[in-house]
Parts: sequence; C-alpha cells; structure tokens
Amino acid sequence: MANPIRVDSAGGEYMESVVVLEWTAKIGDAVKAGDLLVTVETAKAATEIEVPCDGYLTAIFAETGTEVPLSAVLGLIGVTVEDKAFEGAVAPVAPAPLTPGATAESPVSAAVSPQGSAANNRLIASPAARRQAVHQGVDLRGVRASSPTGRIKLRDLVQVPASQTYGLQAPALSTLPPDDHGPLKIYRSGPKTGTPLVMIHGFGADAQSWFPLERDLARSTPVIRIELPNHGQSPKRRVGSFANLARDITAAFDALHVDDAHIIGHSLGGACALSLADIRPRQIASLTLLAPGGLGAAINGGFVDGLARASRPESLGPWLRLMVADPKIIGDDFVVAAMASRADPTLRAAQQQMARDLFPDATQGFDLRAALARLHCPTRIIWGRADAVLPWQQALAAPGRIGLHLLEATGHVPQLERTDEVLAILRAQLREGVSS
Amino acid sequence: MAMMRYAEALNAALREEMTRDPSVFMFGEDIGRYGGVFKVSKGLMDEFGESRIRDTPISEQAMTAMAVTAAMTGTRPILEIMYADFIPLCMDALVNQASVFGYLWEGQVNMPFVLRTQGGGGVGTGAQHAKSLDSFLAHIPGIKVVAPVTPADAKGLLKAAIRDPQPVIFLEHKLLYNLRGEVPEGDDHIVPIGKARIVQSGKDVSIFATSKMVIEAEAAAKLLAKDGIDAEVIDLRTLRPLDLASIKASIAKTHHAVVVNEGWTFCGYAAELSATIMDHCFDDLDAPVMRVAMPDMPIPYSEPLELAVIPNAAKIAAAARRALA
Amino acid sequence: MQNAPSIEEQREIHRRMILTRRLEEILGVMAKEGKTRGPLHRCDGQEAVGVAACMALRVDDYVCTTHRGHHVYVGKGMDARRIVAEIMGRETGYCKGRGGHMLLGDASIGMIGGNAIVGAGLPAATGMALSIQVLKQDRVAMAVFGDGAAQTGIAHESMNMAGLWKLPVIFLLENNQYGLTVRQEVQSPIEDLFIRAAGYGMPGLKVDGNDPVAMYQVVAEAAARARRGEGATLIEAKTYRMQGFSTSDMGGYQSEAEMAPWRDRDPIRISADTLTALIGADAVAQIAAEAEEEIQAAFTHALADPFPVYEFHTPSGAYAEE
Repeated sequence: MANPIRVDSAGGEYMESVVVLEWTAKIGDAVKAGDLLVTVETAKAATEIEVPCDGYLTAIFAETGTEVPLSAVLGLIGVTVEDKAFEGAVAPVAPAPLTPGATAESPVSAAVSPQGSAANNRLIASPAARRQAVHQGVDLRGVRASSPTGRIKLRDLVQVPASQTYGLQAPALSTLPPDDHGPLKIYRSGPKTGTPLVMIHGFGADAQSWFPLERDLARSTPVIRIELPNHGQSPKRRVGSFANLARDITAAFDALHVDDAHIIGHSLGGACALSLADIRPRQIASLTLLAPGGLGAAINGGFVDGLARASRPESLGPWLRLMVADPKIIGDDFVVAAMASRADPTLRAAQQQMARDLFPDATQGFDLRAALARLHCPTRIIWGRADAVLPWQQALAAPGRIGLHLLEATGHVPQLERTDEVLAILRAQLREGVSS
Repeated sequence: MAMMRYAEALNAALREEMTRDPSVFMFGEDIGRYGGVFKVSKGLMDEFGESRIRDTPISEQAMTAMAVTAAMTGTRPILEIMYADFIPLCMDALVNQASVFGYLWEGQVNMPFVLRTQGGGGVGTGAQHAKSLDSFLAHIPGIKVVAPVTPADAKGLLKAAIRDPQPVIFLEHKLLYNLRGEVPEGDDHIVPIGKARIVQSGKDVSIFATSKMVIEAEAAAKLLAKDGIDAEVIDLRTLRPLDLASIKASIAKTHHAVVVNEGWTFCGYAAELSATIMDHCFDDLDAPVMRVAMPDMPIPYSEPLELAVIPNAAKIAAAARRALA
Repeated sequence: MQNAPSIEEQREIHRRMILTRRLEEILGVMAKEGKTRGPLHRCDGQEAVGVAACMALRVDDYVCTTHRGHHVYVGKGMDARRIVAEIMGRETGYCKGRGGHMLLGDASIGMIGGNAIVGAGLPAATGMALSIQVLKQDRVAMAVFGDGAAQTGIAHESMNMAGLWKLPVIFLLENNQYGLTVRQEVQSPIEDLFIRAAGYGMPGLKVDGNDPVAMYQVVAEAAARARRGEGATLIEAKTYRMQGFSTSDMGGYQSEAEMAPWRDRDPIRISADTLTALIGADAVAQIAAEAEEEIQAAFTHALADPFPVYEFHTPSGAYAEE
C-alpha cells in the first residue's frame, strides 16, 4: 500500500488551495523521509513539503502549475517502485473529496451504496463529517445517517468497521477533537522546597492514580505529577509516535525549571521517565521505573485496546482487574470511579488513537533498552511477577548496576498492590539520590 | 461594583465621559429638560448646561449629518435617535457622509461620534416603533455597531464608543432599560469594541445572539439543558467589527450554530452571521447554520400577533434541536 | 467701503479665479481627448462666488462645497498641483486618489470638503458651526450650495437649527439657475430664494455672484455677524452656469440668447476691469501670466506623479482584528 503525499500542513488559516510549483523528484526515484519533495505556493509564500516516509515516488497527481485543494493527495510514495496501491480520493482540482470516484459527474449508484445517505444518488454528509472521513480514511458510502434529515453527521463516524475504511491511515474511531497543542497538566503538592519527585502515570490512568504514594510522600517531599497528553486534564492531540510523546514530556519537565529531580514512572509513564532521564541526564537525581514500557516488544494488546475503548463500567472492570494479581482489590466502586474519570468520549477516542500510534499490532513500537544502558543516575526497577500486561522478564534487559525489585504475587500496578513495599523502596531511592 | 439599571449605567457613562472630556456633547429630541424618553440623560442638562446637552427640533436627517461634521471638527458628539425605526432618516449621513469621508480623508480627520438609538418590540409600540434595523447599520463600511445587553456592558461599551476615533452606532433595546445588574464603578471600566462575551460555555451547540436576544438565548439554553443539550451562548456585543475569532473557536468546539437577531430574516443580520460562518467555519459544521429572526413582514400591534413574530427562547431552542437532529 | 477687499486681496481673488478657469479649461480639453476619468462639473462663469467668498474668510474657518467646487477649492487656498493630482487619480492628490474631483478635502485649511450629495453641505456646515459653538471658538463655517440643494428637506432642517441656535454659519446659495437640466423656476415657486431666511429668523441677502468685490463684502459682513455671536446668514448669489451640468451633459437646453448676457458679465472680465483701474493693465496681465505658469506646472508635475497602489482599508472592515 502506497503512502499519500499531502498538502494540509502547508496551508495557512484561510487557505483552501495551493499551486504546485515544483517537484524535486520524478516518478520512479527513490526518496527518503524528510527530504524536500514538492514546493507549493500558498497565499503568502512558497512552502516546501517533505517526503513523508522512505520509498519510491510512484505517482504524481498534481503536476507543476496545477491548483489543488488543501485536502488533496499530490502523489504517492510506494514501498516498491511499482507500488501504486491507493484507494483514497486524489481529486486534484475538486474541493474536499466526497468519496473515491463519487463526484457530481459520476454519482454513486444506489446499488453501490445500499446503506449510505443519498438523495438523488448524491451523498449527503455534513462538512465536518466529510473532513473527519478524510482524516480517518473512512468511505462515507458505507456510513448510515442517524439524523432524520438523512445527512451523515460527525457522530455517525463513530466505530466504523475497519472493513469500510480505505486502509490509508488508522482504522475508524469515534470523534477526535481538533489537536490542542497546549502544555501538559501539572499538579503540585507537598513542601515548596527540596528536590522534587516528578511522577508520570501510565496509559489509561491519570495523575490521581498516584494517590496511594503521593499522600504519603508529599508530607516530606515536593511532588509534581505530570499528566500525559490525552489523559486526565491534559490537552488532547495526535501524538503520532513515542518520540513526540518524549518531546512533550521533556517540554513539560523543562517548563518546571528544576535543577534536579527524582523521577518515577509507571508503565508507559516509566518509558517516558526513562527517555526523560536519557535526554536530561544532568537534572535527574534518581529514576524509579514501575513495570516500565520500552524494554521489549511484547505487550498485552487486548488490554491496551480494551482499556482505551471501554465506555461503561461493565466493559472497563475486567480490564482493570487484569492489571492486578488479586482481582478483589478492584471493587465495583473503584471501577465506577475509574469510568467516571473516562466519561469524555473524546478522551477515549484520543487514547484509542494514541494506543494505535504507540502499540501497533500489539507491539511496543519503541525500544528504550539502549537508553537504559546509558543511564548513570541511581535507578531501580520494580515489577510484579504476575504482571499480565507487560512481562516482568523484560526487566532482565537492565544492566547489572540497576536495582531490580521483582515482587511476588504482584500484577502490573505494584504501587496499588504493594503500596508499603514500593514506598519503602522509593524512600531509600530518594535518600540515595540526594546523597549522590 | 454597584447595582444599577441599564439606563442608569448609560447615564453614568455619559456623566463620566462628559466630565472627563469637555469636547463631548449630546443632542437629540427630548433629551434635555425631560432627560430623554427613556431617561438615559436624566439630570445631565442641569449638570452640563444647555450648550452641551441640547434638545433639538425633530430633524433626524440634518442632526445625523451634523454629528458627522461636528466630529470632524474637534468635538465628540453623542446623538440620540429616539427610535431605531427612524434610522432610515439618518441614512444619507451614515452611508454617504460618515462612511465615505473616513476613508477619503483618512489622516486628515477623525470622526468620533456616537449615535445612540433603541429598537426592538414586544410592548405594543406598533409597526413604526418596534423594529431592529441592525443589518442596515452593520452593512456600512467604517461604522462600528455595538449592542450591549448587560448594564455593565452598557456602561463599558458606551465609554469605549465615546472614546473611539470612528463613528459608533450604539444600539439599545426598549426592554433592557430596566434590567438590573452589577456595574463596575469609575473611569476605568471600558469594554473593548470588537469582543464577544461567552455568556455560558457549552459543547453541543453555539447560539450567537445580539441585544435582547441574548436573554432569550440564555432561556433557550435552560430549556435545552432539560433535554441534556449543553448549549454555548455567545453575546456578540459588537455587531461590526465582528469578533470572528470567538465565533470560530466556538464552532470548532460544538460544530453546530444557531444565529439569533430580532431584525427581519431576509438580508438580515442573522443572514450575515450565517454567511460569515459558512465562509470561515464550513468544514467545522455538522449541520446547516440555523437562523432565528423576525418573519419578513411588518410588526403587528395586537399582543398575540406581535409576540408571534418576535424571536424567543422556544424558537431558539427549536432551532438548536433542528441543528442537532 | 465697509468689509471691502484690499487691493492685495483683489489681486489674489483675480489670480485664483484665473487658476480655476484655466484648470477647468485644460480639464475640458483633456476630457474631450478621453484623458480624464468620470464626469467633471465645471463652474465656468461662477468663479467669483467660490473664490471671493472664501477669500473673505480666515484660513481656519470651515468651508464645504458641492460637486461643482473647483472655485471653492482654489478659493480656500488649496494647491493647484495637488488638486490636479487628485483629479488625475494620483497618489499625491489631496485624497491619494480616493476621492476624485467632487470630493476633495484639506482639513488643514478648513476645507471640509466637496460633497456630491445635493443638499449635504447645509447640515455639514451647520454641524461644524455647532462644534464651533460648543467649543466656544472664534470661527465661522460656510456652506456653498446650489439652487437645487435649496429645495431639499435637509436644507430646511439645517437652516432651522442654525437660526434657532444662532450658529456661526453662512449659507451661501450659489444660484446658477439650473438643477442638472431643469431651470430654477421649474423647481421653486419663488424667484428669489433668499427670502426664505425670514422663516429661520436670520438675515437673507441677494448679491451679484459675478462681481467678486460685492461677493467678498457680503460674505465678510456675514462672517463678522457670526463672530459677534449674532448667528447665521443666508446669502443668495445670482450667477449662471456656462458649461452645462457636466462632461456627460448632452446640452441643448441652454439657449445662446440666454447665455449671451452672462458671457458679457464674465466675472474674470469684471475683476480685470476693476483691477486695471487700480493697478494698471500691465500688472493685471502679469497676474494672468503667473497664473498660467502655475497651472501649466501643476498639470506637468501632477501627470508625472505615481498612481496609488490598492490596499484594503482595515478601519472600514467588517471583522475585528484577531
């Protein structure tokens, strides 16, 4: 499947179209991600579009001199020199594409769209739904309109089966909010002075999940909790890759303006903490990783997906109970409270997208073992031997100078399941980190 | 803060600005001895004298033209036109004089005049004393149009209008004068022209309203809330220049827009809002923009007839439900 | 003679009348050659009204005029080169090419503009006079308007308020006998329009609009009254429009028999005769030669000036800046 070359990011706020000025490669050329590929002219200036991924330029849909809408696909980058497999709309001169091949001149026949919203064979969908369909790669012909007006609306794009998508991008998901590039949410507690402890929670959780540790530690230590994007009160945005997530965390850390800090991270937050320690080594007093991500390929994909998708306590409960060794510690009240904090459907949609970006095909799409090997600060890894989400054996990738605490009869959330033991380890770590 | 009626807030703004700046003066019908038909200029003639507070003959056409040139020659006139229905009499001065010369003689003259008037129906004043001609006024390049709905905004926007170097039409509503509210005291309370006010935040549908229709929109939001619909209500406050940024931000959030104005529907202010939203927010829209405005006919007198044509909370709520269907 | 112009002032009136006449004659030739844009409204034969009336005022007094206002522009002291530049649509014009020949203004010398809406000048000057009165300034405002404008409703409203409030304003009715193609007697039941002043409680005077000295005197007296706080004056200057309504006018309704006597009473000839008796024929010819040189230079320079570049006028715009 070939990857499309798109304009959208080059457009300004009032832009609807651009003019293609120059292609720097010709069909059949091998191209590298990040290289300059096309120059287009916006109202203000010439803008350069880079190669989106390595491959071959296999098709040009917008020749030099043509004007194309912002949503248009300019050409394709194939995996091989022959690869032109692409089912999306290219529409070099029409505005935002309706559906592949469905224009006013060639209406979709009723036979082709048995369940689509159509009047006089014309597809009827709101502008926002059309934009979202393009974004998601959804074919609107397969979408049923829930409105009595017969118009496909945004809400109808929730949970479109993957079989009805172009397969261009991620499978369909519920309504994604527009990207918010605001700063991550920060919570502070405890004393104003002293080396702070920075806490980074895991996927699907939020800053409140640190409560068992935080209420104790904040009596003596400044505690700063960072919420991941698409979690808790932090902004929602397409993260795209772990590298971007690490950048977000680093930016949030830099904005704290601390000389040094103890860092603790859990699961995905552990991976974030590890990469932060790798990027800002001089500012890290100690690092504590609770069942961290990034130390191996395996992950329980069903868990990540199920957690992100669960829209009712009944569907959330089983996944939460999978996280712990003893399911009885997750009571119904706990589940209801956890669901209440995930009530916002856009939050769930954003987390589903994030899961797809970070854990494609039930795989951890990032590897931090090299970073672990580079660490100099005092570092401890705590892992439950009954972890059903990330296998504890991944801890064995750590070099010998890193302390391992592999807890018996403990699942993926040691801080909840073995609060006192984790606190004791952490207190020792805080003392050690300060004295070094 | 002080609790004040809308009319008292306007009176306070006039008094403060006339005290602050001796070039500010006011003229209009019945505004002097009597204090204005709606008592907005009550007591000002005693305080500032007959030169700066002038009762005029019934000459709207010339008075408006005089405000234009008085403003170009060093004063800051405030003209009261008793009913917005009389605005057509003022049109040459606005369309062919004020608008034109602000551009042609830019750099040579300023034109800091304020035309205050009041419109709107609901109390049986009949076809010639109940109209909202907002679109006539907001159509004119170079002339600002504001329509405050709270006493605090009435004061802050009137002070901003008086200090503005361009002509400002200040639209009041006859049913707002007795509205009470907290009003900041003192000279510093200026509400900037060109900034909308979010009356209440919501996520499902944006209701953009002007003047008294903001109050109806708030009531509509309460009706909608009973059905679990979370409406955002935005008081545009300034009709021109329009706060496009606030409109875009709201629609990016809710994807549904209802526009409300008490004037006629066809070619009305709501029509312009709708077109503006289409121009700037098309891809954010999940439904057509819904217009709630006066039917295209003269305003009748009899109570059931008059109330039938004036937009209200129920009509706004119905439009919001249509948008969300 | 009370309020009579000095010899120096008469020389200047003469010079400005010639400038106006030559400005219009040259524009007329260019119009025939297709080198001008839009209509031009010439005031040939009426120069004394605008020029002498303005000369009777001070630089900081306010004046507004009609779409036929070249004599008032030049009379109030606007620069011929920048007038021509505006008419030729140049960046160096008084309005940077935005206005054209009907809508020139120069606020720095109280010229608050030409106005092409018939009747708009009366409330305009009344408003300026209101401003003068509120600010207690020693200034006068004057509206130059025609017999057509005298029939508008706004003329009545304006003169009523000016009379009521004793505003320092001069209503100078330039009766050139025509409203576009229609003679005054078809537009008004009375021949002498100045008698309407009685209805507004202000003096009404009639003057020979082709006699610059008489024009100057009557306006100077009205200005003095206004400065004394005695209020407004209506002056009707009888004159005649020699060149039709505008360059778009097909003509045919002004007979030679009607025009001939007015041609004999050309204000520039009357002014030249008066001045010759005072300063001699050579000096009068010298004034004409200097005026000719000035107007030629004005056209030469203005035509070499650049055109303006279009830019959207943000203060006019419908949307607040974000």
